[in-house]
Amino acid sequence: MRYLFTAVLLSLSLLSGCATTNQRVLDSGDETQLQKRSYQSRTFDTADKEKVLRATISTLQDLGFVIDRADLMLGSVSGTKLDGHQIKITVSVRPKGTDRMLVRANAQFNITPIEDPKHYQDFFASLEKSLFLTAHAGE
Amino acid sequence: MKKLPILIGALFLAGCVTVPPNTFVVTPELLQQRQLETRRYDGIKEADLITASANVLQDLGFNLENSETKLGVLTASKQRDATNGGEVAAAIIVALLGGGAMPISKDQTIRVALVVRPVNDSNGNAMSESHFVRVTFQRLVRRTDNSTIAQTLREPELYQDFYERLSKSVFLEAQKI
Repeated sequence: MRYLFTAVLLSLSLLSGCATTNQRVLDSGDETQLQKRSYQSRTFDTADKEKVLRATISTLQDLGFVIDRADLMLGSVSGTKLDGHQIKITVSVRPKGTDRMLVRANAQFNITPIEDPKHYQDFFASLEKSLFLTAHAGE
Repeated sequence: MKKLPILIGALFLAGCVTVPPNTFVVTPELLQQRQLETRRYDGIKEADLITASANVLQDLGFNLENSETKLGVLTASKQRDATNGGEVAAAIIVALLGGGAMPISKDQTIRVALVVRPVNDSNGNAMSESHFVRVTFQRLVRRTDNSTIAQTLREPELYQDFYERLSKSVFLEAQKI
């Protein structure tokens, strides 16, 4: 009986989670900032910010997202997908040097950040097709 | 060891739901959805087309939320009643059978995003008087127990009806009526 009690307590502590508010606000987990950036970013060989943004918008729409907001000057697009669950994504596009654009995406599924690089790979693969350009890895 | 299932159950609760695989892959179903949501308009400038679109959204009772005309993006929403006869009838039957109060749809927020983008000619350059309009409707239904259901609307009739209205509005805009 005592063994059972300890086990129940243990799973309850898992339920309540061990992250503090600060950790939740800053999303500080096992990954470093650089690791996150590397799988969330790609560069494209074009200097045309508007073209990349418009392609991003159509890619998101193709993926079933509804666009929430977009800003050409800031180079950002946000969208939401509702399909029994909620996925929110923000994509930012900014110039890197004079002839390339850096595209960075971050997404959340319901109330958890999406941290599996595979999903970002899929997203950039879809964006490549819509841009007719190859995505290059890295910052 | 009879308590083992309870333990396993508690552990499952502690875990979390994962992202469905292929969330960011364009599937054939999604391409079909694109066909449904997209129409091409010729002989009208982007600024006029987006004005005509904003007018239609107002015709439909939406409040504009966000817009970035430089990228051809408009978003709008409205709150409406969501009760429907079938659900109410089912809830009454359940209550009569002693099933207690069944939650039914109460109200809903309907969201729409509309994007205008230029058609590219064979050289890949944007055409100034040919555009695609793509619109998507979503709704968040709140039920009497305060739970919510989120969905993207997929009925072809809804989109056909919307584009008939947009075509009228484009015509009026072109004639400057």
